Amino acid sequence: MNPFQPNRRDFLRSAAAAAAAGIAPMSLVKLAFADPALDFSFGYISDAHIQHISGTKFVRNWDRGLIRAVAETNMLTPKPDFVVFGGDLGQLGMKQELDHGAEMLSKLRGKLYCVMGEHDYYLDLGEYWSKLFGPHYYSFDHKGVHFVVLNSILTFDDWTFNRWPSAEQRMLEMAGLDNPNGSPFMVGDKQRAWLKADLDKIDKSTPLVVFSHSPLQKLYKGWNFWTDDADEVQALLAPFAKVNVIYGHVHQIQYNQIGNISFNAVMATAWPWPYPNTYAQAEHTMPVLTVPMNRADPFFERDATGWQFIDVQTGRVKLEYNLYNNTNRTVAWNPASGKPEDRAFQDPAKRIPPQVHY
Amino acid sequence: MKRILFGLVAAAAFVGAAAMAADATAPPLGLPPVPIPADNPQTPEKIALGKKLFEDKRFSATGQVACATCHEAKKAFTDSPLRTSEGIKQGGKALTGTRNAPTVVNAAYFVTQFWDGRSPSLEDQSLHPFVNPVEMGLKDHQPILKIARSDPAYTKAFEQVFGKKGAAITMNEVTQAIAAFERTQVSGDSPFDRYYFKADQKALTDQQKRGFDLFVNKGRCVSCHVVEQNTAVFTDNRFHNIGVGINNVQNDVPALAGEFLKAKATLAEVDVKVLGDKRTSELGRFAISRNFEGLGGFKTSTLRNVAVTSPYMHDGSIKTLRDVVVHYNNGGVTKEGDPVNDFLSSGIRPLGLTDPEIDDLVAFLEALTSPEYASLPSAARTEVK
Amino acid sequence: MNKKIAALAVAAAVAFVVSLGADEFTKKDQERWEKEYQSVVQKGRGLFTSGALGTNGVACAQCHPNAANTHPETYPKFQKQLGRVIALREMINWCLQQPLEGKPLALDAPDMIALEAYILHERRGVKLEPGKH
Repeated sequence: MNPFQPNRRDFLRSAAAAAAAGIAPMSLVKLAFADPALDFSFGYISDAHIQHISGTKFVRNWDRGLIRAVAETNMLTPKPDFVVFGGDLGQLGMKQELDHGAEMLSKLRGKLYCVMGEHDYYLDLGEYWSKLFGPHYYSFDHKGVHFVVLNSILTFDDWTFNRWPSAEQRMLEMAGLDNPNGSPFMVGDKQRAWLKADLDKIDKSTPLVVFSHSPLQKLYKGWNFWTDDADEVQALLAPFAKVNVIYGHVHQIQYNQIGNISFNAVMATAWPWPYPNTYAQAEHTMPVLTVPMNRADPFFERDATGWQFIDVQTGRVKLEYNLYNNTNRTVAWNPASGKPEDRAFQDPAKRIPPQVHY
Repeated sequence: MKRILFGLVAAAAFVGAAAMAADATAPPLGLPPVPIPADNPQTPEKIALGKKLFEDKRFSATGQVACATCHEAKKAFTDSPLRTSEGIKQGGKALTGTRNAPTVVNAAYFVTQFWDGRSPSLEDQSLHPFVNPVEMGLKDHQPILKIARSDPAYTKAFEQVFGKKGAAITMNEVTQAIAAFERTQVSGDSPFDRYYFKADQKALTDQQKRGFDLFVNKGRCVSCHVVEQNTAVFTDNRFHNIGVGINNVQNDVPALAGEFLKAKATLAEVDVKVLGDKRTSELGRFAISRNFEGLGGFKTSTLRNVAVTSPYMHDGSIKTLRDVVVHYNNGGVTKEGDPVNDFLSSGIRPLGLTDPEIDDLVAFLEALTSPEYASLPSAARTEVK
Repeated sequence: MNKKIAALAVAAAVAFVVSLGADEFTKKDQERWEKEYQSVVQKGRGLFTSGALGTNGVACAQCHPNAANTHPETYPKFQKQLGRVIALREMINWCLQQPLEGKPLALDAPDMIALEAYILHERRGVKLEPGKH
C-alpha cells in the first residue's frame, strides 16, 4: 500500500515519465500473499520529544516533525487500519509536553495505540500518561494477528524509587542518552509473567507483532539501546512461527533477525541519532544486517527523521520509511533469506555515499 | 628587418587572438564552466540559428509570441514586471498561466528546467511552451517545422549547422539550436564575485559586506542558494516548499494531490495541467515526483541578477527583494503570524533578523547583478512597475 | 682531598640545577598538566550536555551522545552549510546559532576551547582525515 495507491496503469505512465526525467519512482512492489485478510497496514509515528522551553513555548523543531508526520499519515490512501505512537512523546515527561503532543496527535484520523517511552515515564511513573492514553502494557487482536504492547523502559526498583532526591532529577538523569548515571531498560518480572500468560492463550501459528520502545535486544548499553531481560523476553516469543518486534528509542533505521523474530526500528520525528559504531571509545554490537540511514544535513531539520507505515503481509511486516529530504526506504521480509532486507540497498554494491559516510 | 618585425607582429596578433578565443570560452568570474552536452556542442553558427529561432514570433498560434516575448533580452531575459507570463491573445486579452517566467541567464547551470524541474534539459524545455495553450498555443510543432524546412532564412543555416534539409529537420535540431543560444547567456563578474573571488575589498559597501555575513550565517541562505569556495551558482538544484502559494490551498492539498494522481500524467499533460490550474500549480514538485517530499516544493532559483528580475517566486507573488527577505524572516509566511503550512521545508524557520539586518541582506542581493544588467531598474526596495 | 670532593659535589649540584632549568619536565608536571586538561574536558562535557548554550533548551548531547557524529578529525574541510572550508570551531558556532538558536562564541573563548577539548577527547585515537566530507 502506498500513498494514494495509483493503479498499475498510472504507475507505468508515471514511471515512464519519471524515468524520462531521471527520477526513481516510489516502490510499489508488494509481496505475494496467501491470505488477503492478513494484508493490512498501520501507521507508526514515534519519538516526538516535544520539549517545553517556557510559558507556551516549545522547541519549534520537534513540533514541526510531529505536525508533518501527522499531516502525511492522514494523506495515506487507503487509510491505515490504525496508527501507533511509539513512545517518547514528551522530552521530560511534563504535563504541558504530553498535552501539547496529545493535541497534535489528536489530528490523526482513526484509532491510536500508544507505547510508553522513558521520556514519558520517569517524571511521574506514567500517571498522567495513563490519563491520556490508557494502560502501559496490553494486547489486542486485529485481522488474525496478535498485537502486544510492552512497557520495556522500566529499570531496577532501587534506581527508580531510592536513588534520586526528586522526580524531576530522576527524569533528568534518564533523559540523557549517554548519561553514566542512567540505568538499563527492562521489561521486568511482573510484565514478563503477564506476557507469558497472555501468549499462552494464543495459537503458535498466529502471527505476533510486539510494540516496544526499547529494542528487546542488547545492542549498546552506553546509550541504553538495550533491554536487560532481552533473552528472557525473546524466549517467550520464540515458540511463535512469525514474530515481528517494532521498537523506537534509537532514532535510526535498524533491523535484525534472531531466530523466528524480526526486529525493526522506527525513525524519530524529532531528531536522528548516530549509530553506536560511530562512538570511538566503546565496544558494542550493532545488527550487521542494517543498511544505515543517510547521514543527515543538519541544516534541514527534518533530515534523517521520518515516520513509517507498516504492511502486514502473511504475518511478516514490511516497513516503509517515509524520510524527509531522502529517498524513502523499504525494509521487508525476504522469504528466500529468511530475514528482513532493504529493498534497494541491501546489496553492498548498491550503497550510496550518504550511507557509508559516517 | 621589416619582414622579421612583420612576422613578430603577426605572431603577436595570432597569440592575442588565440588568447581572446580562450577568454571567450572561459566562464565568467564566479561561475564554473557551462555544462555542454556531448551531443550538442557549441558553434557560432548554431548559436546564431538558435537566437533567430528564439526570437521568431511565427511559432505561435497568433504569430505574435516568441520565446523572447517572455524572455526579453533587454529585461535580463524575463518579462518583468509581469507576475505570470502572458501568451497569445484570445478575444483581445492575453492568456496567462500560473507561473512567473524565470530568467534564461545562467539557466544553463540548472540540472532540470522549469520551476518544478519537469524538464531534464534546455533542449527538452523549449519544446513545451510552443504547444501550451496559454503560451504559444500551437496544436503541435508542425507549424514550426514547416517554417524551418521552407524559409530560406533558415534552410541554409540548418544545412550548415546540422547537415540536414527538408524533412530531416526535426524538433531535435530546432531545440538543440535554441539550447545552444541559451547556453551563451551566462553572466557573473558581479560586485560580489569581485569581492569574494578576487579579494577586491572595494567591490562591496560595508553594508553589503554585513549582508553577505548574514547570507551565510543568521540568514541561513547559503545552504540552498549555494556559494562555494571558488564559484557560486546560488542554487542547489533542489526543490523546497518555502511557504509561497501553498499556504492558500493547504486544506485542499489531499484532494488536489489525489485528483492529480488519478488523472493522466505524461510529461506533456503535466505541463498543461500545472500552468492551467492555479490550485494544481501549488502542488509544485509533487506533480512530477509524486513524493510527499515534493509537496509545494519549487526549484531554488539562482540569485544572480535577482534585483533586476522581479517579481519573485514561482507565482510572481512577491514584488520586492525586501518583501522576499521578510517572507523568509517570518519563517515561510508572507504575513507574519499566518499559519505555516504542514509541508514546509525543514530548512525554513523564523530568522529573527532586525530591520537593519534585513536592509543589509537586501543590499547584498543587489551586489549579485552582473555589469551587463546593471542599468536595469532594481526591485530591491521598491516595486518595479 | 675533602675540598676536591666538596668542589666536585658543588659542581655536580650546579650542573644538575642548570640542566633542570632548561626544557625538562617531570612526571609530576605531566600528571598535573593532565589534570588541568581533564578539568577543561569536564567543563566541556558540562557545556555539551547543558541546555544553556542556546536559547531553546536544546543541548549538543541530544543529537550527539558522547559527541558522536561530530567528526572532529575531518576538519578543516569544506562545509556545505557555510559554503567554504572551515575549522571545527566554526561548525560548533554554526550549531550554536542554528539548532540551538543561540549566539556564536568567540573562537578563543574559554567555553569554545572547553567544548573543543571535550569533542576531541571523545574522538581520541581516530586517525586524522582533514577534508573528508
